[in-house]
Order: sequence, then C-alpha cells, then structure tokens
Amino acid sequence: MNKSIAEINDRIRRGDAVVVTAEEIVEIVRERGEVEAAKEVDIVTTGTFGAMCSSGAWLNFGHADPPIKMQRVWLNDVEAYSGVAAVDAYIGATQLSETRDFEYGGGHVIEDLVRGKEIKVKAIAYGTDCYPRKELETIVTKDDLNQAVLCNPRSAYQRYVAATNSRDETIYTYMGTLLPNYGNVTYSGSGALSPLHNDPNYETIGVGTRIFLGGAQGYIFWEGTQHAPTKAMGTIMTIGNLKEMDARYIRGATIEGYGTSLYVGLGIPIPIINERVAKTTGISDEEIRADLTDYGVPRRERPILKEVTYAELKSGRVEVGGKEVPVSPLSSLKQAREIAGILKKWIEDKKFFLAQTVEGLSTDQVFKPIKQIAAAPVAKDLMTREVVTARPSDSITSAAKIFAKRNFDHLPIVDEKGKLVGIVTSWNIAVAVGTGKRKLSEILTSKVIVASENEPIDAIARKLETHRISGVPVVGTGGELRGILTSEDLSKLIGRRRK
Amino acid sequence: MTKKVLLKYSAEKTKEPILASIIKETGTLLNILHAEFSAEGGEILLAIDAPDAEVNRIIKLFEQRGIETKELKRAIQLDEEKCFDCGACISLCPTGALRLTDDYSVELDEDKCIYCEICVPSCPVRALKISKF
Ligand code: SF4
Ligand code: SF4
Repeated sequence: MNKSIAEINDRIRRGDAVVVTAEEIVEIVRERGEVEAAKEVDIVTTGTFGAMCSSGAWLNFGHADPPIKMQRVWLNDVEAYSGVAAVDAYIGATQLSETRDFEYGGGHVIEDLVRGKEIKVKAIAYGTDCYPRKELETIVTKDDLNQAVLCNPRSAYQRYVAATNSRDETIYTYMGTLLPNYGNVTYSGSGALSPLHNDPNYETIGVGTRIFLGGAQGYIFWEGTQHAPTKAMGTIMTIGNLKEMDARYIRGATIEGYGTSLYVGLGIPIPIINERVAKTTGISDEEIRADLTDYGVPRRERPILKEVTYAELKSGRVEVGGKEVPVSPLSSLKQAREIAGILKKWIEDKKFFLAQTVEGLSTDQVFKPIKQIAAAPVAKDLMTREVVTARPSDSITSAAKIFAKRNFDHLPIVDEKGKLVGIVTSWNIAVAVGTGKRKLSEILTSKVIVASENEPIDAIARKLETHRISGVPVVGTGGELRGILTSEDLSKLIGRRRK
Repeated sequence: MTKKVLLKYSAEKTKEPILASIIKETGTLLNILHAEFSAEGGEILLAIDAPDAEVNRIIKLFEQRGIETKELKRAIQLDEEKCFDCGACISLCPTGALRLTDDYSVELDEDKCIYCEICVPSCPVRALKISKF
C-alpha cells in the first residue's frame, strides 16, 4: 500500500486524516501489525525538547544614518558573528556574555528576542567611504529587526549516548553534573518520540520537510553537521522565523561549569506513506539503545561501559557496576510529548500541511574526527623521570634536609615496590617541626591527585587548575611512581605553543 | 509543617542510645534525613512532623542529654514558571526530594530536602532557589 503526500494533505483538508503520536503508534503497530497500521494511520507526530548547542539566529538590523559596516557587534554584551554584509549578524547559542559569564549567553539573547524584550546593541567598525560610521549603540526588539531567523546547523540528534563518571570527583559536562564513582547517569533525547528515530531510513524526512520548530512552523534545509546515519546518530539543519516562535519552546540555558546553550522544541510529522514507514514509527523505548559512556575520561574515544535502552533510562534507575543509580533525562520528556500533541492538533485543525521533500538526506555519511597534524602531548612526553623520593619510615629531619638542598615543594613517598603511597610538602614539614612527630608516615597526605602516563597534557593542566595544585606525580597502571609533572613543565610547553 | 533539626553529637555521646530513648519517651516519629559520624562525633538531621510545642519539647530533651541542637530555617523553592521539567536535577538529589512523576513532571517535596544545594547550580534555567532566614 502506498499513499502520496498530496493524498494525505487532501485528507487533512477534508478533516479526515488520522493522526497519532509516536507514543500512540507503538501500541497500534504492536497489536495490529504495520500493514493494518499503514491503512489506518496517515501521520505520526514526534517531538523533542533538549539543549541544542549548535543553534543560533541570523539577524538583520537595517541601516543607520550615517551608515555603519558592523565589524563587531554585541547584543546584551554577547558578541554575534558579523563577518558578513554590513548589518547582518549571527548570534550563536553558546557565545558567552562578556559581563555575566555563564549566567547569560547567546541562547538567552535568542530567548529574550522571542519574548519581545529590548536588546542592547553595540557595534564598532573601521569606517569606509560608503560606511563612514565607526560606532553605534541602540536598543531593539524583534519587531525592529528586518529578519530574525532561527538557523540551526545541527538539531534533533536521532539518539545520543548516556553519560556517567568513573572519577572520584564531581565533573561538570555538557551532559550535566556527573557525580563521583558512577553516582548518577544522564541522557538526552526522547526515545520513542525522537523525530529521526521514527523514520531512520529518511523515507519521508528530507530537505524541505515542514516541522514544528520553537512553537512555529519551520523547515529542514539540509542534513545536520556531524550527521552520522550509519550509527543511528543522524541530525538535521533547521530554519524558521524566530519572530513567530514561542518562548515556551525556545529557552536559553546555563549548563553548570560548561557554558550556555539553547533548548529547542522540535517535532517532525511522519507521513505513513507505506508499511515500511509504519513499521519504523512503531519503534519503542525498549528497542532504542544508548551507549553508557564514561565522561570521566576526557578523550575523544570515551570508554563505553555497556548498552542501555531508553526504556531503562526512562524508568529512572539503571545498574552501573553492580549498583542501581538514579538517572536524569536532560531533555524534557514532558515537553517532547506536549510538542507531539500540538503538532497532532495543528494537523487536525488544518493549520499544518505536509511538505513534499525536494531532496533526501544522506544515509551513508560518516562523522570524521578533525585532521590533526601533530599528536597532542601526554604526561610521559613531558614529565621529569628522575624523582627524589622517600619512604614512609624515613625521618622528618631527613626529608627536611632534602627540601633544604633542592628547590622543590613536593616529595613523593613510595613503598619498597616503588608504589606511590603519599606525598609530603615542605609546608607539612614546617608544620611538623616541634610537634614531636618523627616519621614521614605520620605526616604524609595519602590522598594524592595523580596523572597517568598517557593522560593528555591539556587534561592535566585542567586538573592542576581545578585543584589549585602545582604538580602531580605520574603513575603507571599499578600505581608505581614513574615521574612528576609540574605547572612549570606545562608552562614551558604552552610557551612553546604560543611561539 | 515539618521542622528540621540538626543534632550535633560529641564523640562520647555517640555511644548513648539518645535518639531511641527520646522516640520512646515522646512517642513521636523522628525521621532521619541524613546522618554522618566520624571519630570526632557526628551529626544527625531530623525531620519532625509535630505541633510546634511538641517540637520544642523534643529539642529540650536532646539538649538535656547534652546534644547540641540547631533548627534549620531554610526554604527551597521550585519556580514552576521557569522549570521546564528537564530532570537534570533529579539524579543529583540525595534524598529523593526532587523526583519525576509518571507524566514526567518534576516535583519537589521540601520535607525531604536536606539543603545540600547541589541541585541549585545544576538547573539550566535557575528554577531552584534556597533561601536562608
Ligand atoms: S538541596 Fe536540592 S538536591 Fe539537596 S536535598 Fe534539597 S532538593 Fe535535593
Ligand atoms: S533542573 Fe531545573 S528546569 Fe530542570 S527539572 Fe530541575 S528544576 Fe526543573
């Protein structure tokens, strides 16, 4: 059985199109099979509402008198990209405010525009014969702009990984706050409601598809950046009129310790043109999988601990390393469901018609890493290998002598097998003098922040910064001391990089 | 309204069955929200759901037995206008004060909150606020 888009649009016009949400179709396909489902149902509506960092808006301000060719422009102190014609600019969701840090960014500017709030505009320029003006300050709302167009290079990941953290400290990531020792799990995406997962072969979704975008009607205009269909991680580029959008579905956000973003509400109608499409829309949370990934490892290839289903994730608890841990969705399942419902209502009310695609989306594109011409250095490339060490049984006086002779602040303490058991600083020694303590074992700090030999220098630099320490011992896989790396070693490298 | 009282135990007091004896004496249920002990002593955060006079009597009983008490006067608010039910906060909450309902709305049960504050900065739209007074 085949239905055309034109036929389905006719049904919408007549008021007899059968529309169900991507959650409702699961039961229908399960009970009656895809052949019956394809006969009965005309459209399945989907929805998602999550942080989509790769979002932004094109704005056109119109010309001032005398005119200016905006070289740099700020909206509420957030810089927008203006390396295009004189008064066009692109405000990106993750650009931070120059005065309010993580509390306000491009995503918030976009939300404020949608809300009709006043936005402070500041622009500077070098001045030309045709555009003599060098500075401009003004206040605008969306009504004053010629165009305000939401234009997102990447939206609506088909599915995404789930995140957890093996480190013994809390980390702040774009996947949210991750508690130490696998203390929680976070995930993104709406599972069975996921727009692209309901038509993973892109039989009906393509360039030109009309969608729900931020509360208005928008379009897909290309495959999204990082589109990876073979890994079930397809994405889309989307566009729509920001002036018509609703701030309930376009929200600026701050991801703690990470930066700003934009939560975008998006829904795609899937026309049931044949049984194959009916079948794919029948996908349930039990069938959609996510890789539970360890974000404690700051590398491109993060270790995958296991596979979990969206059904498990949505249940609120998953098992990691033998214990049940709580789960946070990061995208709003409630609003995803709401969006699928609104899209359904729009179609039933004849306010929304399907658009015929003009081009398909790639089904074999792969997502490549960046081409790097030099490998990033790791600890063992830079560490000092000859390290003066002491034993726990050594006396405090002998350690004091070592500190007096050499110019360093950290003395690693190792056992007879060379395993690192602690560290003593010159400060510890100074404090111990006169307390009657004799042995290093009485004063050493056993909780030491260490680096592994293959840990990237950038990750170690970040460790030093967050823990406010000036160096780390480098240890092998069995905890044996291999070397030491100080902030001085790192600054030498960074100095070299700057040159 | 449920009151929250923080009990501070010195090392020697941790050996006495004080909490149990007060529960027995008053017949009031004392709910332990959080407890932490070390060699130097410890802390217990209690939630007491009883009329004010009864709460005051219980506080006195602890003090008579040599336990330092402090009533926690704080409040946490979930701004429902701002909250978009993303759920980012729920897996961080150690007591289940924040939870997801069956229709995926986020709900806050202040009685269970121990004011650890971890949820506050993790809310992407700043919908959670703790006030002290
Ligand atoms: S402060 Fe937040 S995270 Fe902590 S107990 Fe209260 S609600 Fe839960
Ligand atoms: S993190 Fe904030 S917005 Fe998200 S559910 Fe919790 S309170 Fe609501």
